[in-house]
Amino acid sequence: MRQDIIDFIKDYRVIILIVFLVVSVASISLSGITEGLDLKGGSSIQIELQQPVNTTTMNTVINVLNKRLDVFGVKDVQVRPSGNQSVLVEVAGVQPQDVANLVGTPGKFDATIGNQTVLLGSDIVTVQAYTVTGNTWSVPFTITTTAANNFAQAAKGKAGQPVNMYLDNNLVSSPQLDPGLANGVASTDVEVSGTAASAVAAQTQAKNIQTILQSGSLPVEVSIEGVSSVSAQLGSEFVNGALIAGIAALIVISAVILYRYRTPILVIPIIFTSLSELVLILGVASIIHWNIDLAAIAGIIAAIGTGVDDQIIITDEVLKGNREFNVSTPTQKSRRSKRADKKKGKKGKSEDKKVKVSRRITGFRLRIRSAFFIIYASAATLIAAMLPIAYVGYSTGSGLGVLVGFAFTTIVGVLIGIFITRPVYAKFVELLVGTN
Amino acid sequence: MSILERFLSNYKPLIAVPVIITLIALALIATHGITENIDLKGGSNAVIQLEKPISSSDLQNTIVKGINNNQVDVTSIANNQATIQISGATNVSAFVNAISGTGTLLSFQSVGPLLSSQALTQVYYALAFAFLFMSITVFIVFRNVVPSVAVILAALSDIIIALGGMSLFGIPLGVASVGALLMLIGYSVDTDILLTTRVLKRREGTINERATNAMKTGFTMAAAAIGSMVTLYLVVIIFIPYAQTLSLIASVLIIGLTADILATWLMNLGILRWYMEDRR
Repeated sequence: MRQDIIDFIKDYRVIILIVFLVVSVASISLSGITEGLDLKGGSSIQIELQQPVNTTTMNTVINVLNKRLDVFGVKDVQVRPSGNQSVLVEVAGVQPQDVANLVGTPGKFDATIGNQTVLLGSDIVTVQAYTVTGNTWSVPFTITTTAANNFAQAAKGKAGQPVNMYLDNNLVSSPQLDPGLANGVASTDVEVSGTAASAVAAQTQAKNIQTILQSGSLPVEVSIEGVSSVSAQLGSEFVNGALIAGIAALIVISAVILYRYRTPILVIPIIFTSLSELVLILGVASIIHWNIDLAAIAGIIAAIGTGVDDQIIITDEVLKGNREFNVSTPTQKSRRSKRADKKKGKKGKSEDKKVKVSRRITGFRLRIRSAFFIIYASAATLIAAMLPIAYVGYSTGSGLGVLVGFAFTTIVGVLIGIFITRPVYAKFVELLVGTN
Repeated sequence: MSILERFLSNYKPLIAVPVIITLIALALIATHGITENIDLKGGSNAVIQLEKPISSSDLQNTIVKGINNNQVDVTSIANNQATIQISGATNVSAFVNAISGTGTLLSFQSVGPLLSSQALTQVYYALAFAFLFMSITVFIVFRNVVPSVAVILAALSDIIIALGGMSLFGIPLGVASVGALLMLIGYSVDTDILLTTRVLKRREGTINERATNAMKTGFTMAAAAIGSMVTLYLVVIIFIPYAQTLSLIASVLIIGLTADILATWLMNLGILRWYMEDRR
């Protein structure tokens, strides 16, 4: 029996599993697992462009949005195109309303005196830090000399008239033209100011306007098409809940196995295999920096669930083989056993025992091979069923694309299962039945 | 054992059981329809942490006034957390302003009409292609028309019964439930392939013996799968009611896996036996 166990540990499949487990644990503990936004808290905002745009325009859009979020002080942000007409903005740990205000607006700035446009967003050179006094805010900025000259010409002699400043056609400020600016002398220093309901609101508005003026306007009209946001608190509740559910599910599975086979020792490899699959999937995710989100957790459940199915199939095939083989041994004489009979005469009883064991093991191998036919076939169908989602996920990332993590972990989990963990399980059952 | 024997010898009329249930499910879907989650029909969904106790109608009024939309529905208030559904896309800033002083945002989802119609199309295509790819794989595995068709019909019946159950219990069809339906295809085909391989490809024992053996394995698989899904469902409902993705997946799978027991052991096995006796 000891020799059996040593052989088991020396088996290349067992060694491969151990190596992969060590690598996974190392990677998980060193580089950790990146959690998706719905687990660590964050917002994902889908912005729809008014019309499809080419790559150059898309890049401008992405750059402007990145700049805005950067100026606003948002870290851990990802802005990426989704098709040619929408953009996906993913931000960790920021309240959605902050981001929505920032990215959901084209940021087109213009100022008019009467009916005449006197200033455009593109005239702005630099924007200075905003100031807030009481409920009044102001954002100073400088404009190009040409723009300053044009403004001076347009403003000449119009002291007292309002200068209407618009952001995306909404009036944000309309100060009266100072006599000092209406004398035809160009000035490059301008400011936009306004009053809000509270000091806090003034602060927010000023910061927004400063950011938008500074980052420039988007080349297309945009609107917010979808928002999905989860707070960090809820995210960590999800993680804990998923862990509880996982442990509880393993207990239920153990109970089913125990009830069916009445062999407590079978529960250990089934739990071990499920946990190994979990560790290996997370290890792969950790190595390639794949985000684990709620959908990915569902995929892990699917992979481990079919894994348990496969282990039941293996167990039944091996146990059945064992039973039948014992019954039919006297009548079934294969070519192999006849050859063994010839040898037997010389070497006596102990050899006879060995032959019997080896014949039985050949029986298991056959059984396991037929179990693996079923396992490969069902793995292939499951992977085939996941391909459309994987495709949608890679091509757009929105809509059904949020399930890309689900398809990914299912496929990875199934592959790990059929090539790494389940062969080891089969080997273990062989050991278990062989020694009985 | 005698019940099992009687069941195994009267397999032909028993094929009708899953077929009838599938037809009932189809009728349910046709008359009752399936509610769509906001990710497919558009709208907004929010979970807020309440700062002070508030009645459902007061909360509703506050939000209605705040966002200027009277189609606001407070679906639940428990443990100082409220779930709110709003039809139509909602400006998140306006919503946060509306609830300021009442509560803070825990989660917010808003889906515009463009995004939802795009997602709906993707759902149809994903399901259709998943089913197609699965069918092709099954044909490649068995290279035999009748048994392959039996497997595919069983999977189809599972999906239709699962959809019928969703219609009956008001489980919304959304991106998450599509995930569940795809998982169902995987689980369903597992037992079908097991059955077909054992009954069709093995030679030892009688058909009945092989079928009984396969059934034993299949029932253990179903018990493990349904057991873990019920556990998942209960844990989510008790500990993390807002992880709707997981509870939706679990409930769809519970219905589908139960349907799969009937579809596999009454329909698929029935067709298979009929085919094998016919061939003899």
